[in-house]
Amino acid sequence: MVKIRQLFLAAIANFRRWRRNPQILLAFGLGFVICFLLSNKVILFAQQHDTNLQMLEPFIWTFGDANSIMLISLCLLLLFADIPNLGNEVPFLLVRMDRVTWMLGQILYMICATLLFVGFILLSGCILSGSHTYLANLWSDTAAILGYSQLGTKIAIPAFVKVLELSFPYRCTGHIFGLMLGYSVFMSSLILYLNLWKGSYGMIGGIAFTAFGFLMKPEFLLKWLHLPQERVRIANIIFGWISPLNHATYYMHNFGYDNLPRLWVSYLFFAGGSLILFWLSMLKMRTYAFCFSGTQGK
Amino acid sequence: MKYKRKQDRTWERKVRRTMAGREEGSGVVVEHVYKSFGKDAVLKDVNFLIRPGEIFGVVGNNGSGKTVLMKCICGFLKANKGRILVNGQQVGKDCDFPDSLGVIIETPGFIPDISGYQNLKILADLKGRIGKQEIRDTIRRVGLDPKNRKPVAKYSLGMRQRLGIAQAIMENPQVLILDEPFNGLDRNGAAQMRELLKELKQQGKSMLLASHNAQDIRELCDRVHDMEDIWKMEELG
Repeated sequence: MVKIRQLFLAAIANFRRWRRNPQILLAFGLGFVICFLLSNKVILFAQQHDTNLQMLEPFIWTFGDANSIMLISLCLLLLFADIPNLGNEVPFLLVRMDRVTWMLGQILYMICATLLFVGFILLSGCILSGSHTYLANLWSDTAAILGYSQLGTKIAIPAFVKVLELSFPYRCTGHIFGLMLGYSVFMSSLILYLNLWKGSYGMIGGIAFTAFGFLMKPEFLLKWLHLPQERVRIANIIFGWISPLNHATYYMHNFGYDNLPRLWVSYLFFAGGSLILFWLSMLKMRTYAFCFSGTQGK
Repeated sequence: MKYKRKQDRTWERKVRRTMAGREEGSGVVVEHVYKSFGKDAVLKDVNFLIRPGEIFGVVGNNGSGKTVLMKCICGFLKANKGRILVNGQQVGKDCDFPDSLGVIIETPGFIPDISGYQNLKILADLKGRIGKQEIRDTIRRVGLDPKNRKPVAKYSLGMRQRLGIAQAIMENPQVLILDEPFNGLDRNGAAQMRELLKELKQQGKSMLLASHNAQDIRELCDRVHDMEDIWKMEELG
């Protein structure tokens, strides 16, 4: 019981740093601005065509796309750049618990902070969707126009027929939220492990992870290997399986008729990857040398 | 080599003699501790013990390894070689961070937007061993007002230092590790804290004290370990 209380207090101690912290304000502010810029395309489209929108659609059409998830996840680099927090108040916490409990507190903090951030992005999407929206669990006219005409593809909004026909807005939002959360927790766990392993390598690792996802696109492979266009389907399937960013993209999943990973496979991929990295972090914590800010370097 | 073996035997005899006839496992024993960062050796074969009711001073220039030694005792850093026992528990083996240990490592840090009392309450809740009254008493003991609602951000350096001492002693630990505890305190404040440490010594606490101030060391410490000269153990009192 004492250990559980210590674990929660260690996590809460991190949240106490959020108040008036410019780094945190910047991460959330930037998240809101990115959300506004990315979802604006959908909202403007609805306004121009004078069609209605389901409240969650701006979020769905914005974060159903790999590039948007990649951009928004960059804010996490700001949020977790200095994880684990080693401010000069930490020694006082540490001498009252053990390394494992403190580490579990850091992991709990990271999961909760990521959940809060992704929740904030979802809320921002809903707020930005404007007044001409409805709550019912039905796709809007805007979605139908974007999906069934080629307009969605032309203006790079991922409103695909397979998404419209095989899902409903709330279920779709739940999955996009879950996939984004999985991707973000996976990336955060990588940052944590690399920061424990070697100083500020977490930031570099986070950027490399994002770049890896960005470059794992079939178009790039076709260009580099000078492959014919017919091979794009196979490249698409391969990258659907190996790229974490594709695992986080809703429409890049198997809806029953192709060879892409199923949604549960992606959830398992993120959960498994994060657990392995958390376990490695726990191992690293056994011999980790604490260097607190505000005290001498050594 | 021969000289070293003789040193080891002398040291072991000294530890055995000191540990005999007193409550088993109390105090601090530092045995053949080495710590280096890459090629930079900071601690080389450091040996000493602190008995209950003793204040042990550590002196040395900046960068001589005082803080590293204290961090090794606290368990924040792992020694490359040797062993450290605090209250009978081997640090890094029997425990990550020793139980019944009060610590100040240089500038004490607190959550800035809440009061001193609230800060100590959060820390006390981690172990749940003491209640509100004990926290208030400790705050009064270091010369602060427990009813003061001012956030720690608005505290002076001296007030923060007093609060740091309060958090170190509030749970009545057997061992205190105090790295520059009088930093930022005015003459009266430092004198008051010196009296407090003497009182704690009377109660049988073992203390490791690092200070740049010769007066603190002269007045408080029973023995002094010079980080510059690892074999020199100067008896003062």
